[in-house]
Amino acid sequence: MLTLFFDFVRRFARNRAALVGLFLVLVVVGVAIAAPWWFPRNPLRIVGRPEIWPFMSSRYPLGTDSLGRDIAAMIAHGARTTLLIGLCASLTATIIGITVGATAAYVGGWVDELLMRLTELFQTIPNLIFVLTIVSILGQKIEYVTIAVGVVTWTPIARMTRAEFMSLRDREFVQACRSMGMGSLRIMFGEILPNALPPVIVLSSLVIAGAVLFESAVAFLGLGDPNVTSWGQLIGDGRTLIRTSWYICAVPGLAIMLTVLALNLVGDGLNDALNPKLRDR
Amino acid sequence: MPLLSVLSLCVQYQSAQGVVRAVDDVSFDLEPGETVGLVGESGCGKSTLGKAIMRLVPTSDGRVFLDGDDVTRMQAGALKASRKSMQMIFQDPYGSLNPRHDVGTIVGQPLSVAGWSRRDIKDRVIELLGQVGLPAEAMRRYPHEFSGGQRQRLGIARALALKPKVIICDEPVSALDVSVRAQVINLLEDLQQATGVSYLFISHDLSVVEHISDRLIVMYLGRIVETGRSEDVWDRPAHPYTEALLAAAPIADPRAARSQARSVLQGELPSPLNPPPGCSFSTRCPYAQALCREERPILRDVSGGRRVACHYDLLKQPAALPRVARVAN
Repeated sequence: MLTLFFDFVRRFARNRAALVGLFLVLVVVGVAIAAPWWFPRNPLRIVGRPEIWPFMSSRYPLGTDSLGRDIAAMIAHGARTTLLIGLCASLTATIIGITVGATAAYVGGWVDELLMRLTELFQTIPNLIFVLTIVSILGQKIEYVTIAVGVVTWTPIARMTRAEFMSLRDREFVQACRSMGMGSLRIMFGEILPNALPPVIVLSSLVIAGAVLFESAVAFLGLGDPNVTSWGQLIGDGRTLIRTSWYICAVPGLAIMLTVLALNLVGDGLNDALNPKLRDR
Repeated sequence: MPLLSVLSLCVQYQSAQGVVRAVDDVSFDLEPGETVGLVGESGCGKSTLGKAIMRLVPTSDGRVFLDGDDVTRMQAGALKASRKSMQMIFQDPYGSLNPRHDVGTIVGQPLSVAGWSRRDIKDRVIELLGQVGLPAEAMRRYPHEFSGGQRQRLGIARALALKPKVIICDEPVSALDVSVRAQVINLLEDLQQATGVSYLFISHDLSVVEHISDRLIVMYLGRIVETGRSEDVWDRPAHPYTEALLAAAPIADPRAARSQARSVLQGELPSPLNPPPGCSFSTRCPYAQALCREERPILRDVSGGRRVACHYDLLKQPAALPRVARVAN
């Protein structure tokens, strides 16, 4: 197993862009972890004169916003929110997607029909509107935003899982398990899933990037959790001053862009490392 | 009482073009400690028959009795209990072992499903690996670290884990190198000596089947065309299809091969979607008469415990029939 792991690392490292992405992701994770020590006080607190431009003051390296809040502190604390929502939403989407996809493929027949029609139904609803609807029904809390994003983004994972399960379901090692009387759940999750997981992990990593964007959009529209800083919320707050103090939007915008780009690069790297056969064709 | 008794088993598939009878009205018995060889060309339903007996594919009619219990009507619980009496060895040693599990997990899986304790499983796995000629250290390694022959040994060890009475061997050596084949065959024979297990040995390779089998079953288009003791069938085939199969088996000595007159089968296997009327072999049979194209011959008893499904079996009057497609080459 160790040799397999080294193999994985070697293939991942062969992709330079993925290494850059991984570096950026680690920086963001580091900032998110360090935020409470780095900026121990509430980031939404007003600390100084409003609209100080970045690099003009040594106390506020990224400047202050229209209310005089420290943008650097909000970016650091926002990284926590953004990453947490991204990870939890991706986890939610992965769990729903794997359950639906695996059940559809393994059981087959009308269950498959039903679950796939349901998946298509979810796919046809415009994602952002669906997220906004869920958040406005459940309430403006960070947990609900996470759930909403997860509920919207599980469909590609379900379809991918189903396709993988379909090709693995009739393999001889699965028949061997059936012939020894193993239960369906154990076959699905103990035997087939570990083999179906690599492409699903790649998709899940991309869903994190998508979730970051969704969260930003929700926060930008003012439907995010008002008690928690997030990058999207910063952009939303700064948009009225875009003509004069455009940096208020630009700084968090840049943070979102780099994070999403980095996550996508890591996803590509994972794809290279986990699905070597697909790539080497 | 036979250990395994198959009665008029049918397996049907619904395809877009119609109903395919993959296995059609197949009956045979398997005695304790016996090896029955099941031969036929690709697509004749022999693998499907094996899987139907294991209930890996649904049967549409007929029954399978294992030790007097009807496997085809069993509910999940009873079926699980019966699994320990009947196990299967698969064709593809690369596809039949889960690449994500180590050998200890794979070989111990039937035991873990049967509810053995972890410690007992470990002891038994070491014993099994010894039985199939692999070192105990193999336990912590993964399938990709083994050769095809070694993997097939692992598959055999897994099938043996619960000390079954019947093992269905689905082309267990077809995917192996010729040099490894003999080793695996000998291993299967040694294990039979040691444990008294019965084999249903499915193969398209007659030389392998002849070597290991006590009795032979020849299938064509989902039906049994001939059964009998292995030597009898081999020495004097009663069905024209068996004769053609035997003639197609390679002969080691090239001079003997050249001098022998061989009957070569003409044409392709007919589509199972649309089997010919009458005898299903009539379209390719060198001896076919008008009757063969109209009426399907039943599987009837002939001399010495043999059964054959042919109107004009070769035991009765081989010389009297015109030999249409006998080619000397």
